[in-house]
Amino acid sequence: MHSSTRKAAAIMTDVHRRFLQLLMTHGVLEEWEIKRLQKHCYKVHDCNATVEKLEDFINNINSVLESLYIEIKKGVTEDDGRPIYALVNLATTPISKMATDFAENELDLFRKALDLIMDSETGFASSTNILNLVDQLKGKKMRKKEAEQVLQKFAQNKWLIEKEGEFTLHGRAILEMEQYIRETYPDSVKICNICHSLLIQGQSCETCGIRMHLPCVAKYFKSNSEPRCPHCNDYWPHEIPEVFDPEKEREAGISKSNRRSLRSRQH
Amino acid sequence: MSEQSKDLSDPNFAGEAPNSEMHDSPGVPVGVPPTAFPAATLAEPQSPPLGPTAAPQAVPPPQSPSDEGDPKALQQAAEQGCALRSLSPAQLGPAPPAPAQLVQKAHELMWYVLVKDQKKMIIWFPDMVKDVIGTYKKWCRSILRRTSLILARVFGLHLRLTNLRTMEFALVKALDPEELDRVALSNRMPMTGLLLMILSLIYVKGRGARESAVWNVLRILGLRPWKKHSTFGDVRKLITEEFVQQNYLKYQRVPYVEPPEYEFFWGSRASREITKMQIMEFLARVFKKDPQAWPSRYREALEEARALREANPGAYCPRSSVSED
Repeated sequence: MHSSTRKAAAIMTDVHRRFLQLLMTHGVLEEWEIKRLQKHCYKVHDCNATVEKLEDFINNINSVLESLYIEIKKGVTEDDGRPIYALVNLATTPISKMATDFAENELDLFRKALDLIMDSETGFASSTNILNLVDQLKGKKMRKKEAEQVLQKFAQNKWLIEKEGEFTLHGRAILEMEQYIRETYPDSVKICNICHSLLIQGQSCETCGIRMHLPCVAKYFKSNSEPRCPHCNDYWPHEIPEVFDPEKEREAGISKSNRRSLRSRQH
Repeated sequence: MSEQSKDLSDPNFAGEAPNSEMHDSPGVPVGVPPTAFPAATLAEPQSPPLGPTAAPQAVPPPQSPSDEGDPKALQQAAEQGCALRSLSPAQLGPAPPAPAQLVQKAHELMWYVLVKDQKKMIIWFPDMVKDVIGTYKKWCRSILRRTSLILARVFGLHLRLTNLRTMEFALVKALDPEELDRVALSNRMPMTGLLLMILSLIYVKGRGARESAVWNVLRILGLRPWKKHSTFGDVRKLITEEFVQQNYLKYQRVPYVEPPEYEFFWGSRASREITKMQIMEFLARVFKKDPQAWPSRYREALEEARALREANPGAYCPRSSVSED
């Protein structure tokens, strides 16, 4: 999931610059959007050139961004395995990107929600539990009603996902904050047994406790009729999700986005 | 056509015109770059300095030739900003930080500006100092310069001071092919507002503008031929000599007129770099009218724009929605 750095000298052209501008504008983009964005940038600035393979294109840009401590990071949404991309800052403190949007007490509410999410078994924190912490917030006093709206704002801005009254981290937040989370919650951080990346929601083995992301489960157990835990070999008791297929996605149209209360597809 | 003889000196044109122009938000389509009269925003090495610098020059950073315009302008603007802190020479404070630390601050500032712009928030210089630069405020000039270089080189964005009074910055996209000439305009053109004022007068008249007419217009802005201006210096020398040398204006004697009188025409460089549509947009902004209030001029501008488009088919490509910027 981490882009490899290439030592080859990369040349920043207007195609790359436009790409970066627009990626920054949108914040986080799905793979199909990013491909379309790349094609657009070529069309605007260099109609005749062949469109470089996306991975190489991004690696080239990242080799230039390396010295600035920022990178185009690729991640996968934890619930349905969609690849997402965002421009992330590796150097500064974690909540810096949110800091411009939210007040001090709002940021603290996010931190409290994050605490609960990290402590939980499922990676979800209930709205009630988060709201009960409203009295402990730094900054201006916040009422529960306000806090509810702030949580909705987090969801709209793609920092949290809400599912049936519970909140977990949006793929974008994980992408941006992985390093911070690993450093801040060294004891409660969970890792996926397959991809070794940070895990917030996923499935776990009932016997030995190892965890796997849903998309990682889907890939690992694909067309396996008797899924077994890769660690202790015990029967894997959970439903195996389907591997994310971008082609099927496009055929199915946009109806899939109504499956969950994810507001992530609205840009 | 009555509007041909219409003078630019609209009686409603208030004396605070230079400031009112500055209130355009960065979002205004940049027919003319949102630079205002104060030379701080204008980027010519030979433009007169802003005044005494209070902050000591701690780090003289290298200048990249391609962007020497903007950093210089920002330097002058930042100088003003930093000068507000008024450091006395006696208290030099701590030793200059290591270059690596300044570089790091520049990177932080770069990110800060990018995020502010992403959230469509105002980029305010005092906020920059408070949130990012902090104790390095003595070196905010060089930090700002480095940040703008990085933004230009990597993102193709110009960090532009859009309002000297309120110290607001904006990130301006530089790469739209349709805007490339306008960017060239803002980077290299001197005293943009002043020059545009004269060029639009000439354009509206449809022929040369007599020197007296030009001074009538400039008088509204508080400029007089005999008075030295704090920003422009010797205005008369500027418009009759410097602008002429740079081919933005032509200054010629009116034939058969005694005592001798002179008139201004568009210079070849102005014709190359500035489009009629830009003039119309400038007029619209300054006089708060629709550009079609000058109908024949507007028609001319439309025709020129169409001719330009036909001459450059490659530069015009339709955009898909994901690129709405």
